Amino acid sequence: MSDTTRQGVPVPSINPESKPFWEATTEGKFLIKHCNTCAENHFYPRSKCPFCHSLDTVWLSCSGEGVIYSFSVMRRVEPNYALVYVTLDEGPTIISNLIDCDFDRLAIGGRVHVTFRDTGEGPQVPYFTPAAAPR
Amino acid sequence: MARNRTPRRGGGGTAPEAGFESIYGLTTANMYGAAAMRHMYEYGTTSEQLAWIKVAASHHAQYNEHALLRKVVTVEDVLESPMISDPLHRLDCCVITDGGGGLVIVSPEIARSLDRDCAKVLGQGEAVKHLHGGKVDLTYTGACWSGPTAFAEAGITPSDIKYASIYDSFTITVLETLEDLGFCDKGKGGEFVADGNLISGQGSLPFNTDGGGLCSNHPGNRGGMTKILEAVRQVRGEAHPAVQVADCDLVLAHGTGGSLGTRMGSATLILGREDA
Repeated sequence: MSDTTRQGVPVPSINPESKPFWEATTEGKFLIKHCNTCAENHFYPRSKCPFCHSLDTVWLSCSGEGVIYSFSVMRRVEPNYALVYVTLDEGPTIISNLIDCDFDRLAIGGRVHVTFRDTGEGPQVPYFTPAAAPR
Repeated sequence: MARNRTPRRGGGGTAPEAGFESIYGLTTANMYGAAAMRHMYEYGTTSEQLAWIKVAASHHAQYNEHALLRKVVTVEDVLESPMISDPLHRLDCCVITDGGGGLVIVSPEIARSLDRDCAKVLGQGEAVKHLHGGKVDLTYTGACWSGPTAFAEAGITPSDIKYASIYDSFTITVLETLEDLGFCDKGKGGEFVADGNLISGQGSLPFNTDGGGLCSNHPGNRGGMTKILEAVRQVRGEAHPAVQVADCDLVLAHGTGGSLGTRMGSATLILGREDA
């Protein structure tokens, strides 16, 4: 499976602000940002808190668990793929893809967890898969 | 069903978000699909209700000789068209065409010297919406801010509007915009658009009487321009006789840019007759 997957794993563009996020993916960690001033978590990760503009933000390692906020399966292209908005247990809703699952059995509110795929060029890309999906 | 595959979409872009977005195969269709999916989940909106928006547009497009799609379609036609990205069918999506437009905007002094009816700008509002640091809500648009601003400046309410041009990249775009502008309560857009309520001569709010983006044209990223053009035709009484709204003294045009799924801009314009 890994060979098949690797062919399809795109390499993200990385900038100085997002570099720690992508470095952590190589260790299987999904990071978001936490603000020490207003105590809010946020994503995409910013140096400056998007809610209170404080510069006192720190990286927070997530559980990688969450629920499907919404999704859409692109049927127009082969192979089909599923865009998903996942609300992490830590708060922020993020954009990803659902993989290793039956696209016809997805539902909003369903629990999902993160799974990483190797780009072959350093960073690993985080995807999500249903908690009870047949493996 | 496809399994164990990830979308082959890579790429850069210079936006700070690019690294977190371009790798996941975001397209306009699947982001708006996700918006529709969430709206259905929260408010019980149905594909049949969304289809009515396309049906209304097609009723109007039959009279527009320049419309790309002039065939009148039914709710069933929409639901039976191929699925593009759940839950949006092909006929929930706008056309993509060439095209363009322009406006001549003049001072009141110049307007008085012209020998044809002018539309008067009564109010306008603009707003942006984004992912808000992860506090994502796909069920509303920036129209919830641009609309009230425009109505306040014009000194009127949504019930005063006789005709509305609503940017219509997808049926869901129209539905959320109508709610956000206050033509109906939040979450009631499905009921509002059903049963021909947007069809000129039948419903309470005739919309996109040129056929809109769903049937007539959608020139690149300039879909908003054509919305203003038809609103001006309506307030001048120059729309096609079959779709001209009677006593059309107050009209609205609304444009949407960017994407409901990430970052968007909203612009609302309220026009009236010269004596308004």
